[in-house]
Amino acid sequence: MFSLIRNEWVKIFKRSGTYVMIGILLFIVAVAGAFMKYQDVQGSVPPNEQWQKGLQMEIDSYQKELENSGDMLPEDVKESYEKIIAINEYRIENNISPNGDYEALSFISDMSSLIDFAGLFMIIIAGGIVASEFNWGTIKLLLIRPITRSKILLSKYITVLLFGFSLLFLLFIFSGILGLVLFGLGGSEPYLLYQDGVVKEQSMILHLINVYSLSSIQNIMLATMAFMISSAFRSSSLAIGLSIFLMFAGGQITHLIAMKYDWAKYSLFANTDLFQYFEGTPMLPGMTLTFSVIMLIVYFLIFQIIAFIIFKKRDIAG
Amino acid sequence: MKAVVKIENVTKIIKKRKIIDSLSFEVMEGEVFGFLGPNGAGKTTTIRMIVGLIGISEGDIKILGNSVQTNFEKAIQHVGAIVENPEMYKFMSGYQNLLHYAKMSEGITKEKIMETVEFVGLTERIHDKVKTYSLGMRQRLGLAQCLLHDPKVLILDEPTNGLDPAGIREIRDHVRKLARERGMAVIVSSHLLSEMEMMCDRVGIIQKGKLITIQSVHEQVEGGAKEYEIDVDHPTEAMFAVNRLIPQQQAEVKGNTLMLRAQKEDIPLLVKEWVHDGINIYRIQETTKTLEDRFLEVTTLQKEAE
Repeated sequence: MFSLIRNEWVKIFKRSGTYVMIGILLFIVAVAGAFMKYQDVQGSVPPNEQWQKGLQMEIDSYQKELENSGDMLPEDVKESYEKIIAINEYRIENNISPNGDYEALSFISDMSSLIDFAGLFMIIIAGGIVASEFNWGTIKLLLIRPITRSKILLSKYITVLLFGFSLLFLLFIFSGILGLVLFGLGGSEPYLLYQDGVVKEQSMILHLINVYSLSSIQNIMLATMAFMISSAFRSSSLAIGLSIFLMFAGGQITHLIAMKYDWAKYSLFANTDLFQYFEGTPMLPGMTLTFSVIMLIVYFLIFQIIAFIIFKKRDIAG
Repeated sequence: MKAVVKIENVTKIIKKRKIIDSLSFEVMEGEVFGFLGPNGAGKTTTIRMIVGLIGISEGDIKILGNSVQTNFEKAIQHVGAIVENPEMYKFMSGYQNLLHYAKMSEGITKEKIMETVEFVGLTERIHDKVKTYSLGMRQRLGLAQCLLHDPKVLILDEPTNGLDPAGIREIRDHVRKLARERGMAVIVSSHLLSEMEMMCDRVGIIQKGKLITIQSVHEQVEGGAKEYEIDVDHPTEAMFAVNRLIPQQQAEVKGNTLMLRAQKEDIPLLVKEWVHDGINIYRIQETTKTLEDRFLEVTTLQKEAE
C-alpha cells in the first residue's frame, strides 16, 4: 500500500501544475504579509487611549440601527450587529484594546481564510487523480497489475488526503514563519468568541487549531465528492467544476432553500460548516453538532460507496 | 507442453448484444498464438477480458490455473500485457515510468529494470521524458513494462500498429525470442495476415465474436502432397496423363494451366510421360497456400453459410 501511495505522490509532484498551485498559495500569503506590514490598516477605532470612546460610539450606532429597523433587518444581519455590540462591550469591561500588537499568531489567524484556497487545490487534485488516468489511457496499464482495483482507488484517496493536509501544513508553517519575521511574537492576545449572546475568551492557539481542523472537514467532504465524481464519471472537468461551484455556491443555495423548507438541513452544505456550533447560531433550528456529524458521516459513506462500486465494476474499454 | 492460458466458453454481453460468443481455446507454454480477425470481430474485447479490464458475462479464463474473476491478483501476476497503444505518463521519464510499474509487482530490483531496458534497446534514452519518444520507442518501453516481472504469459494487442518496417521486425524478433528462450506463452492479436504468418505458431481466426478455426501456420498439407501449377500447351491431354499415372489425385484445367495436387516424387514421372506424349512444358511451380488464402477461404465460407 505504501508503495502505491508513493507512486501516486510521485505522479502529482512530477507535474508542473502542482508547483503552480503551491506557488500561488505561498505568493498570496507573502503579498498579504507585505501589505499588513507596510500599509498601516486604519481601523474604525482611534489608535490611542481613546479606543474605549470609539468602541462605545460603534455600539451606540448599531443599537440605534437595531431599534429603528430591527424588525425589517434579516436575521443574520441582526445577529452580526448583536455580535459586534457584545464583543465591544466585553472589550470595554475587561479593558482589552482592539489595537493590541499585531503579531505572528494574529497573522496566521488572518491567513487561515486561505484554507478555502487550499481546499480548492485539494479538489483539483481529487478531481483529476482518477479521471486523468482515463484521459491519458494509462488506466489500462495501471489495472493489469497484481493489485485489486479497490486497493488502487484507496491509495489514490489516501494520497488526496495527504496532499490536502500537506497544503494546510505548508500554509500554517509559512504564514507562521513569515508572521514571526515580519511582526515578531507579541503578547498573546486572546480570541473573543461569541455564542448565544455570551462572549468568551479563548487562547489564540486553541482558536487556530479549531479553525484549521474544522475547515479541514469541509475541505475533505468536498474533495471526497470530487473524488467520487472523478471515479464514477471519469471526467476531471466535471468533478472539479461541480465541486468548486458547490464550494462557493452550495452554502448560499442551501440558505435560500432553508428560508422556505425545513429539509434543507439534510443537505450536505448545511452541515459542512461546523463553526455554526461554536460561534454564531445553526442555520436551521433543530440542528445540533451530533446531527451534523452524523449527516457528514452518512454523506462521506455514500460518496465512498458510489466511487468504489462504480470503479470496481467498470469495463475499461476504448 | 502445458496449457498456460485457458479460455473456457467465454461470452461477453454488452447491452444485450453478444460481443463474444462462447469462445474457447488454450495457449501453450513457449507458443506464439495469433489472434486474427477483421476489425470489430472481438479481438481486443477478448484480450481485455483475459487481463481483467472488462468483466466476463459467462464462462471463465484461467491463467496457470487461477481464474481472473475470482483470483485476480494471483492470475494476473504471471501476465505482462500491452493493450492497444502503450500509453505512458508523458511527463515522466521512461525510467520513472518503469519504476512506477515495478513498484506494483513484487521483488523487481533496479538491476532488473536496467536489464529489461537493455533487452528492448532503450538504454540511451531511458532517462528522457516519454513525451520526447517516437512511437517505436514508446512501443519498446511498453514491451519493457510488461517484461519487468518475468511473466509466463505475454499479451500484445496490435503490437505492430503504426510502426515502420524496422520497428515491426524488431517486435517480431523479440516475440519469437521470448517464446523460444524464456518459454513464454505469447498471445498476439492483429488484422495483418502476413505479420501473423511470420510471428505465430498457431492462429485462431475470430469473426463476429465466434472462433471459426485454429490452424497451425506452417501446416503441412496432408500426406506430404503439395499443390502445383503447370503451364503446358495441351492442358487437357496433360490431364489425361495425370489421371493415368496418379488416379487418386485430382487435376483441374484453367486456361493453359494445369492445377494438381501430387507427391513430390510424382512430378518427374509426369514430366517423362508428358515429354513422351509430345506436350511442351513451360513452367512447373509449387504453390503453398498462404495464411491469407486460408483466412479468406474460411471467412468467405462463413459468409456464404449465413
